[in-house]
Parts: sequence; structure tokens; C-alpha cells
Amino acid sequence: MPGLPPGATAALKSSAFQAGATVCGVASAAAFDAHAPAGHRPGDLLPGAASVVVVGGSQPRAGDWAATSPWVLQTMGTTERIQSVGRKLAQQIESQLGYYALYVPPGTASGDTPFLSLMLAAQLAGLGSRSLAGPVLNREHGFMYWSAVITTAPLETDTVEGESACPAPPCREMWERERTTPCLKTCPADDGGCLAGTLEHGRAVRTFYDAARCNTRVHTHWVGGFQKVLEETLNETDRDRRKMLLYGDFFTRTLWAITYSSTNIAQCFECMRVCPAAHGLKEMK
Amino acid sequence: MGVFRLDPAIYNRYKDQVLKLCNSFQRIDRPGLSDRQIAEQLGLDERTVTEIRCVAERDCYPLEEWEKAIEFKRKATLEWSALALKRPDLKPK
Amino acid sequence: MTPEERIKAVGLKAGARVVGIASVEAFRAKVPEGHRPEDMLPGARSVVVAGGDGPTAGAWRCPDHRVMEITGYDLRENVAVHVMADFIEATFAHQTIQAPSLAVHGHAPPMSMMHAAELAGLGSRSLAAHIILNPEYGLLYYAALITTLPLEPDPPLAEPACPHPGCTAMYKRIGTTPCLRVCPACLSGTVKDGRIESSTYDRECCHSRAQTYGIGSFQKSLLQIVNEDDAEKRRGMIYSDFFARSIQALGFFRDSIAQCFECMRVCPVGRKYRKLQ
Repeated sequence: MPGLPPGATAALKSSAFQAGATVCGVASAAAFDAHAPAGHRPGDLLPGAASVVVVGGSQPRAGDWAATSPWVLQTMGTTERIQSVGRKLAQQIESQLGYYALYVPPGTASGDTPFLSLMLAAQLAGLGSRSLAGPVLNREHGFMYWSAVITTAPLETDTVEGESACPAPPCREMWERERTTPCLKTCPADDGGCLAGTLEHGRAVRTFYDAARCNTRVHTHWVGGFQKVLEETLNETDRDRRKMLLYGDFFTRTLWAITYSSTNIAQCFECMRVCPAAHGLKEMK
Repeated sequence: MGVFRLDPAIYNRYKDQVLKLCNSFQRIDRPGLSDRQIAEQLGLDERTVTEIRCVAERDCYPLEEWEKAIEFKRKATLEWSALALKRPDLKPK
Repeated sequence: MTPEERIKAVGLKAGARVVGIASVEAFRAKVPEGHRPEDMLPGARSVVVAGGDGPTAGAWRCPDHRVMEITGYDLRENVAVHVMADFIEATFAHQTIQAPSLAVHGHAPPMSMMHAAELAGLGSRSLAAHIILNPEYGLLYYAALITTLPLEPDPPLAEPACPHPGCTAMYKRIGTTPCLRVCPACLSGTVKDGRIESSTYDRECCHSRAQTYGIGSFQKSLLQIVNEDDAEKRRGMIYSDFFARSIQALGFFRDSIAQCFECMRVCPVGRKYRKLQ
């Protein structure tokens, strides 16, 4: 590979694992063209982009999934850990390989739209595939958080996963019996939830996803909640009632979540909690 | 509808009792009660107690107390500095 | 090395200043139902607590109080807890979670880290806002993990860290201690036979000092702003230094976690670590 020392990709992956990544893969920047809209492709962020390095990890621990307190998953702070791995890899590519590297910001470009879809990047880097519930699931480790680095370095790319983690065998059996799956059952779009889908020839096909409603659950206490309470307060003419809104539990918790943003990234895990493929293969006591 | 709205009348009726029973004013030998325990004691539901407590925590001192806090810290730090660092020039006037 | 020693070594290497272990049974005596370790993780057996350093010795000496208000600290005890939690799940195959300590309803956290630190033998409550003082290092910040792994707990402190002998002597002389004297608005208490006899703490007054700029001040300011009918006055409030700093504190939370140190500044416990060249 011109310009890159032999074993550069393997060495980079090894660094990623040492830094705390559970999985690491590489996608070709060109692979995004068929899937991502213009403006949200690697070359739009870094001219001359050749590869996208994706790391996954800092997923909830076995204990987190077993926890009965809703606050454990809602306030745990693990997502930042995978972002630090991404940042470290970007620095390493520039300092050791001499190629441009851009750490994909985890925030949004506008509204809820990311600069580059990290889930798409994970799929194209062969690290997982979309589940019926939405998140990309890795076959060995299940649900995880992602970080990505776009680089001009022509790294060796990985192939897209041939077999997907979803639907898991127990879900296929459940579908045969009940025409639903654990995730569809826990959050059904036709009964106040977010998800609808079918299994066709053993493959998951999502037919509907209510992103706006999902947002009220995943980001209950977040920017949207802040805006809603502020609007309600300004529309309220009674001063005592305004105080109840601005000093109340919902608004206070929302401000805590915004302030301690890194530990409140996701506030709903119900579709993943019931997913047999989401928690990884390792058994815990 | 919107988010849970506490009736100001309920708030005014129970805020002092809730503040007294929770951890707002602590005694080292007597830990404050949880919202659930306060609810049982006052015959209210837990959600209402949580709401009363949250509002009361914010409400119990006026914003002027925050302004006083700024001055308190400025003076206390300088007084300590003058004494501990042997810098009498720092003593607040 | 025993499992306890291995876990503690991992935590200390990850940046914790001290690590201690409490059994889940120890929480039952004083912690109300709904806030105990087993209420967070079914089958929980042990709680491992890490204490991390606060401000540096240099920060304590700054005569401008605003510096320590935004110096912040590196939350190292949380990192240590995450590293130990990973270690326990990977090495001993037992479920482990970070104990939830972020306030979720007003000022109330799901679980008290101060209580966990006390039960893990890392410190004892003080006259100063009932802050847990480590006998060696004084003020530390605490985080904890809960695990289903049974571990040998550490005993609680044999001798409380507060009152310090110097404070006991001062109390005998003039009927007060350094912390009680510096902050009578938030604190009151008595000392008898070298022990805390009584102690009260006004958390809400303390909030205006320890979190002068933050969630509370933002809410209080915002209510005043929305209640103000005069557009000119409203503009003055929105662009005021106080409101601007309140918003900054929301954004730069790591730097603004604690904004009042006056009761700790005068506390002699752990002071030797604040004396450098």
C-alpha cells in the first residue's frame, strides 16, 4: 500500500484496543456514497478522505443491564470513553503515519442530524448491522457506542458483516409463536410506542419508526424538554404556576442532564434491555 | 396537560413540612426521610412530595442569598489569606 | 493478592487516592428503602468506594475565591470506579455497576456517596456540612460501584476524623471550631469529650454558596426574567454578569462543581498535604 508502512492498519487497531476499544474496523470512504446523503459523506468533512476508522465499546456492563433502578442506565457515564479512543486514534494517525485525520464530532450538524452517521460507519466497517429496534448490534458484543475518524490514509478496509445479530434465535421463535419480537412488544408503534416491523425469511425488516417519540424517551430530560417547559412557562400567565414549572422536578432534572451531559446521553434503553442480542455473549454471575 | 404541574395551593400547604422532614436542614444524628417516607407520613403520594421538595429547595432562600454568598466567599478567602499566608495587606476592609 | 487487594490496586492505579469496601448489609441500618445498593442492582453484595483529590495545594492558597470556584477537579474517582467495574466483570465475571450518584430529583441522588464512603471506612462525618473527612487527606470526592461479588468489607473508622484535636482544644477555649466560626449561616454544633455532640447543617443556604452559579441560580434568575414585564429591565437581567455566569456554570460543569470551600479551607484535617514549598 503506497505511502503506508506495512502493518499500519493492524498497528492502528492494536492501539485502539489498548486504548479501550472493544472492536475496531475500517471502511472505505467511497463506500458511504451509496448510503449517505451529500454533505454527510467522509469527503464532505475531510477533502481527500480515503478511509474511516471506527471504534466501538464502552457499552453498558452486564450489571447495568441487570440493574433495577432506572437511574443506573440513564445516568451512567460511559459514552465519553469511546470518544476519547477516537480522538487518540486521530492524533496517532497524524503523528505516526503523517496523514490527515479528522475525529468525527459526536454532536449534531443541525437539529438531530449528525455530521456523519456513526451507525452507518460501524456497518460499513464490518462491526455490526442494524437491528429491528434501530441500533447497530455487534454479533459478539451486542449494543455499543461508536466513534469514528476520517483519514486520508489508505488503510486496509474490512468487509461488511455477512450475518447479522438481529433477529436473534429466540426472537425468531417468538415471531413464529406471537408475530412479534421482544423489542417490538416493549415499544409498539401501534400502542403508544416507537417501533413496527416484521421478520421476512428470517431477516428483520423495520416498517415504521417514530423518531420524534423515541426522542422524548431517549432524551426525556434534554434540550427538547428544556424548550418545551420554557414555552409552557412563557405561555403561563399565573406567576405561582410559572414557579412550579421552573423550579419543578422535570425542569430541575432537565438542567442536571444538560449540565452533566456526558452522563445523560441516553435515557431510554427498553428496546435494548429486552433484546437477546444486545448484551453480548459473556455470561455473568 | 404538559409536564406534571404542582398545584400552588398544595405546595404552600405542605412545603414547610416537607423541607423539615427531608435532608434540607440536617441533623447529624437524624438522617432526613426519603420522599416515599415523607409521603407516607403526610398522606400524600410520592410524586407530589418529590415535586414539593424540588420546588421548595429552590424557593426557600431568595436570590439575594446568592448575592450575599459572593460577598461571604470574597471576605472569608481574604481573611484566611491574610492570616494563613501572613499577608496582612490582603485583609478585607 | 486477595481479590480485595487486586481491586484496590486497580483503583489506586487508575487515580483514586483511597479505596474502601462496604458490605451491602451495612447500608440497611440508616439508608431508606429505595436508596440501598440492592435497590439498584439485584443480588448486590459489595460496594467499592473510591476517593479522589480535590483542589491542588496551590489552588487553596489563591486569595481570589473565584479561582477555586472554576478550577474544578478531574473526577478521577469516577474514572477509578469505571476501571474497577470493568476489572471485576472481566476478571471475576460478576455483575457490576457504577453507583448512581447524580442528583435526579432536586438535590436528591439515588444513592449517597458520602454514606458509602463512611461505611467503607474511608472517613467520618464532620461538623463542616457533614462532609466526610478522610483522617489522612481530609476533603476527598467520592464515587462507588456496586457488585454482586462478595468481598471482605473494611471496618468503619475506629476514631472519627472530626473533630481534629486542634479543634477540640479550640472548642474548649472559645466554644467554637474553625468551620463553625467561618460559616455560622450554614453550620452549628457542639463538641463534648472530643466527639461531635450535636451538629446541624442548612443545605439550602449552603447551596447558594457552594453552587452560587449553576442550576439553582439559573432557575431563580429565569423565573425573575419571565416575570419581568419591562423589556429594558428584562434585557439587563438576561445580559447580567450573574445570569451569564450561571449559564457558563451549566456548560463548564466540571469546572464549577464546588464553588465554596470556606469551611474546608480552615479545617486542619489533611492540611499537611496542602503545605508545599
